[in-house]
Formats: sequence, structure tokens, C-alpha cells
Amino acid sequence: MPVRLDPRAKLYLLLLSNLTLFLHVSLRAEILLVILLLFLFFLSGKLKSGIRMTIIYSALVGIDFFVIPVAEGLLLNFLSMLSVGIRMMLPCIISGAYAFSTTTVGEMVCGLRKLNVPECIIIPCVTVVRFFPTIAEDYRQIRSAMAFRGIATGNVALLRHPAQSLEYILMPLLMNSNNVAQDLSVAAMTKGISLPGQHTSMIELKMTPFDVLYMLTCTIPFILFLGGVL
Amino acid sequence: MIESINCSFRYQNTETDALKALDIKIATGECIVLCGKSGCGKTTLTRLLNGLIPSFFSGELTGLCSTFGLDPRISAIEDYVPLVGSVFQNPKTQYFNVDTTAELAFPCENAGMSSDVIQKRVTDCAADFGLEHLLHRSIFKLSGGEKQRIAFGAACILHPKLLVLDEPTSNLDYKAIAELHDMIAKKKAEGITIVIAEHRLAWIADLADRFCLFENGMLRGQWNADEFRALPLATLQAMGLRPLCTTQYHQQAIEKSQLPSSGKNPLISAVNLSVGYGKKSPVYDVTHFQICKGEIVGLMGHNGIGKSTLAKTLCGLLKPVSGSITPAKEKERLKNSFMVMQDVNYQLFSDSVREEVMLGATKPELCDQVLSALGLTNLADRHPMSLSGGQKQRVAIASAMLSGKEFIVLDEPTSGLDYYHMTKVAQLLNQLKEQGAAVLVITHDEELAAGWCDRVIYL
Amino acid sequence: MKATNKLTIPDLITIGVFTALYFVLVTIATFGSAFLFPGFNNVVLPAFCALISGCVYMLLAAKLQKFGGISVMGIVMGLFFMTSGHFIISFAGNIVMGIVADLVAKMGNYKSKKGLLASYVLFSYGLFGPVIPMWFMKDAYVANLEARGKDATYIAELFANINMGTFVLAVVLTLICALLGGLFGQKMIKKHFVKAGIV
Repeated sequence: MPVRLDPRAKLYLLLLSNLTLFLHVSLRAEILLVILLLFLFFLSGKLKSGIRMTIIYSALVGIDFFVIPVAEGLLLNFLSMLSVGIRMMLPCIISGAYAFSTTTVGEMVCGLRKLNVPECIIIPCVTVVRFFPTIAEDYRQIRSAMAFRGIATGNVALLRHPAQSLEYILMPLLMNSNNVAQDLSVAAMTKGISLPGQHTSMIELKMTPFDVLYMLTCTIPFILFLGGVL
Repeated sequence: MIESINCSFRYQNTETDALKALDIKIATGECIVLCGKSGCGKTTLTRLLNGLIPSFFSGELTGLCSTFGLDPRISAIEDYVPLVGSVFQNPKTQYFNVDTTAELAFPCENAGMSSDVIQKRVTDCAADFGLEHLLHRSIFKLSGGEKQRIAFGAACILHPKLLVLDEPTSNLDYKAIAELHDMIAKKKAEGITIVIAEHRLAWIADLADRFCLFENGMLRGQWNADEFRALPLATLQAMGLRPLCTTQYHQQAIEKSQLPSSGKNPLISAVNLSVGYGKKSPVYDVTHFQICKGEIVGLMGHNGIGKSTLAKTLCGLLKPVSGSITPAKEKERLKNSFMVMQDVNYQLFSDSVREEVMLGATKPELCDQVLSALGLTNLADRHPMSLSGGQKQRVAIASAMLSGKEFIVLDEPTSGLDYYHMTKVAQLLNQLKEQGAAVLVITHDEELAAGWCDRVIYL
Repeated sequence: MKATNKLTIPDLITIGVFTALYFVLVTIATFGSAFLFPGFNNVVLPAFCALISGCVYMLLAAKLQKFGGISVMGIVMGLFFMTSGHFIISFAGNIVMGIVADLVAKMGNYKSKKGLLASYVLFSYGLFGPVIPMWFMKDAYVANLEARGKDATYIAELFANINMGTFVLAVVLTLICALLGGLFGQKMIKKHFVKAGIV
């Protein structure tokens, strides 16, 4: 049984990783935090993403240890700087990827409601998630339609007349989005989205001791850094 | 019960009344079918009954129209939610969530029910309608029929007294319609009042207690089920309505599937073809296919059986997984193919009808002739997106004609059309055929296939 | 819907739909700039995005014509940026610039073309979040070198110039691109949506 954290715990980890970046924690503290974050991928059964992230992070740390000390010249220094930059962003990206790939929309909504986020933010958020796949589908349809007209068949042709391509893709996309927004509104309103009173969630979220424990454990490297130990 | 007295409605920014002086009474537990040509006012009535008018679709409302005591002029859409469940035409856009269980739970969550009550409602609803296997699935991975069943389940989850369905079957195949039929039958047996606006009448004939015919916003006539069934086919067709029984068309379509290809001037042929989107997606096999210039071929079969995939492969949008097609090169086929999509909105790019049909045209000199043949001359300077659905479809067909391409595919050109408009589309197919094009029609419409296709291919 | 000055449910759903489109365009701009200008992608990202997103922004403004729409779009963008692992400053940047852009558009009653254009330029600066980590990168790199006992003065000076230069470049580039993108958007809205009678 894969173990997953409560959405609020995920949010906490996200903020923690951001703080790590913001306050320039030491490399040792960062590595500890990243190990803890990567462990979550394996706990939730996301082996592939876990392994991929581990490899990327290890490679960047490797550059840190072996390439930077010997880096000479502008180009190598620039590339090294880039690698340091990316490495520092990785805790945020890892915790973000974890939050994104292991949270259902229902959990997200329930989590947002428990954090007292107003419905005027929750409704657009749900709509965004709902609408992403539609955009992909619409795009494919529009490109097929363009192919039948002999306009910009293939990606290279698309870049040859960028303004025209943008018009031909965006206009049908926006027109359709406009229609979908109306249909979605109608569907949501007949299903009571505008009903007054507190809206509830079918899913029940509870912070388990494990969530709290994990949040605390992840905070330890950070505190050790602040205390000057790491 | 539902009662409307001298009720009229005019949408904002329009000239004519969508509904004129309507007097109608619907008793509790009745099943009513609203029929009539597109734009006759039946959808407007459904919107009055579920409170979308005038809360969402604003306009000028006069007279009385009460749904179980709710007056649309006073009550807001929220007041209707516990009493009325609604199902709409387009399965793609009528759900608000990304997974099925969440969609079923959505009305309950909005009503503020507690978690265990919601779970019980969802489980009961799934058990009632046999939807268990659809729970916890991504809605984007469901077929159109499965989506409509979930939509119906969600409409029933608050136990409404009235169900309003607005052309729920226009995108469905026969199997899916039969399943929806059984769900409605169950609700009818429970004594729920049901109002359905629909073009296809055959599937609902046994459940309907009364048929109401609308024309230009007015209620033209009402028949009880027995009277309506006794009407001769010619009378129905004169009223622009679809038949009550499609068995004969089904037979004719099957007979047409036995006919061989004319074999004269073959345009595209394929042998031992397998089509699909790639290794991970399902593959469909077609042992033999041929289409000749100057024939209309119907491509039929259940949803998800690979009709669109085959059509896209024949057009050159996809490479076949295996097998051979003549002409073999995708580019060559694409150059000679045109598809009129089910949702034509995707293929309108320009800001006037004239420019639209001239885009990519190889026979620009025929422009005026084609526009007048399709009745588009007066609309030539309008923006294509400001036209009605049928007019947009004609613009797309005009583009096809001017493109000079010989292989024309139409994807479900008659879905959601009444008899009158279906025959109009059929005439367009004939025009394409007379031009010498090979016309492939992907369709569920057996009446169209039986009446106007030269041959039918069942997948 | 009846006209009100508050955001209605259909308004919120419309905002969601357009935010999704905007987010997709930002993603395209992210990959596009990484592909075309590797290494400087964060610098050109806001400009690239401003160039292609004008239509979406202008249509949303034209459809809603009331205060709150652009702000909510900024907030939702920020939330999604944050959960997709972007730096938290992107979050703050989007919210602040969203509200400021909304206020500017409101001054022109959501009708003044110049007002909307200015509002769009400001909104585009909300995407500066990803540019800011460039500073951290430099500081961190210098710290890293110092920790290893290397002399970092040369490096620090070198990159100080590059960073100041790139920042000015990014600001100017974004201004130009946002103006072009915004004008293109307004032209498209007039050509298509006004003519079709949709807004």
C-alpha cells in the first residue's frame, strides 16, 4: 500500500523547500532535505520519477564536488554557475513534482477548503485542472484542420509565419474556450455550484501522526543549519 | 407539477421571441418529449424548467411558468437545484470534474452534505444504474455514452422531482442510447417527471406519455403516445421529424453493406490495414477498403471501434500501423483529402465567410457559384463564428468544394439534426458526389445511411 | 447573467478557462526560450510569454469588464507556479502584478485601449519571478567558490556585470514584447471577437 502525505503536509514541504532556497542553506543540509523528499516518491510508489530525480540531483551534486573546484575560464564558470542554480532549485521542483503527481483534484479542493481558501479562488483552480486536457485535444483538432487547408503542416512551417500561425491556432482555441466556459458554467450551476452555505468534500482529510512526523523530520536539517551545526 | 400560462421569452440581443405564448401543463410522473426543428424553442423550454432562464440566459420573460411552484422571475437557479436534474447535449463539456466519482459527488458537496452521506449517495447511485465499473475513472478516458450515463447519474444524485434532458443522445451510438433508455425507464418507474427535448424519437417512443411539437417558438400540437405512434411517416417528415421506428433503415443499411464497390475510378484503396495511434493505443484491423470517385460511402459501427482512426489514416493524418494503402504516401493523400469535422468550430480561421472558403482554395474562380449553391451568398461578409451550427457546417463544406480535393470525409454531419436539416445535409453530400468527389461519411444515422449512401461499411 | 460588479460563478469559471490557456502559453514560452536561448532562458521567458499571450489577456479583460478578474488570474497563476516547483517569489510576483494590472485596467474602465495595454505590460512583469533566482545563483556560486578556497573576486565582478546587464535587457525586452503582444491581441479581438459579436 503506497503511503501518501496529506495535501497540507505537501504544502508545508513546498514552503520549506522554498525557504531552503531563499536562505541559502548549506549543501549538507540541502542534501539531507532532498533525500527525505526523494524518499516520498518511493513511498508513494512513483519509482520512475523517484529514480529520475535522484539521478539528476546526484549528477548536479557531483558537478559541485568535482568540476567546480577545477573550473577555469568564462564558459566553464558559466556552466558551473548554471548547475549550481539548477541544483538549488531542485528541492522546490522535487517537492512540487511530488505534490502535483500524488494529489487528486478532490484532495486539492478539500485541502484548500480546510485552509479556508475562498471559493472564488477554488473554482478557477478546479477549472484550470479540468480544462488542461481540453486544450491539448483542441490543439490536435486545430492542427489537423490546418493540415487539410495546407496551412503550416509540420512544426517548421509553423515558425515560418509566426504571427499567422498564432492567429490560426489561437482564434479557434479561444472561440472554443469561450463556448466551453459557457457550457461548464451551465453544467456547474445546475449542479448547485452557486448554492449558499459551506460546501463540503466527499474525501476526508486527516493529518496523521506520520504526516506530522515527516514534516518535523524534514525541518530538522533546516534547524540544524540555522543552529550552525550543518 | 409544471404549469406554464401564456409564457413568452426573448433572449437578450435577439429580435424574435424564442418561446411564444406557451400554455402547457405537465403532471407529476409524466414523461414528455419535446420535438420540432432546430431552433423551434424546445431547448428554451428546458432552460425555463431548470431555472437557467433567466438566471444564466438573460432576456425578457413574460407570463407564468412554474416548476413545482418555483417561478423563474423570483427564484434563483440555486432554488431549482434540489428539485431539477439536468442532462445536456454535449458529453464533452457537461461535467465539471476530472474523475467520475467526483462528478457524482459534486452536487452533494455543493449542497453541504457530510462525507459519509455523500459516499452512500454515490455508492447507491452507482448500484442503481450499474455504474460501479465507471467509478474512480478519468472522465477523459470514457466514451461519449459512458460520459452521458455519468451525467445522468449526477443529475439524479440529489433525488430531484424533475429530470430535464436536452438532446442527450445526439453524439451517441445505438448501444449507448439503449443504456441511457434503461436509466430513464428506471426513473420513470419511480414516478419522476421527465422532460426530454430530442430529435431522435425512436429510442424514446416506448417511454413517452406525450409528444409536444414546437414550431417557431409556438406549441403546434400535442399527441398522447398512441396517437403519435399512429401518425404516418409522411406526416412526421412533413413536420420535420425523425421516424418513430428505424428498423427498416437498419435493414437497408445492412443490405447496403453487402454491395460491392463500383470499382470505377478508384481513389483510395487499402488491403490488410491496421490503424492506430501508436504502440500503446489499440489497433483496428480493416481487411479491405476501397472508395471510388463519385460515390458516397457510409462508415458505421459503435463508438470507439476505430472509425475516426481509419478516416484519419485514409486522409493521411496518420501512418498505418501495418498494411498498404494506395496512394502510399501520407503527404499525397493529405493533399487530396478534406475533412468536415463533427465540431466545425475548429476549422474556421478567417474573419469573413468569403475569406474562409478561399483559404487554401485551388478553384477560387468557383467561389461565387459555390457560395450561392450552398445559400451562403448573403452571409459572405459575416464572421463565420457568428453563424448558426448548420451554416458553419455549410461553410466548411464550401471550403471542401473549393479546395478541389477529391476525397471528402464528413464526421457525423447529421448528429443532432431533425429530419428537415438532415435532408439538407444529404443534398450537400449529393452535390459533392456530382462534383466527382469520393465522399466518406462517418455516421450513426441509419436513416442517412439508408437513404443517401451508395454503400455502407460496418467496422 | 444579470449585470453585477461582483464576480459571478460563470465569471470565475471563465477566469479558470483563460488562466489554463495562459498557463499553457507560459509553458510553451518556457520550453521555447530554453530551446532557443539555452542558459538565458529565464531572461527571455517573460518577454517571450508577453509576445504570445496578448490575445488571451485582452479577451478575458473584454469579456469580464469588472474588477477582480485579472487579480484572480494572477493569484491562480501564482498558486500553480508554486505547486509546479517554481520559486515562491513567482507566486508573490504574479499576485502583486495581477492586482496592480487589474487596478490600472480599471482606471480605463476596462475599455481604454491604452489602459489595457499598460495593464498587460504590468501583468507580464509578474513573470519576473523566475528571473530573480539568477541573483541567488550568482551569490551561491561565489559562496561555493569561497567555501572551496578559490579566489572569487574576478568571478563575482564578471557575473555582476552580466546580471545587471541581463536584468536591464529582460526589463526592456519584456516591455517591447508586451506592447507588441498586447497590440496584436487587441487587433485580433477586434478582427474576430467583436466582428463575431462575442464581446
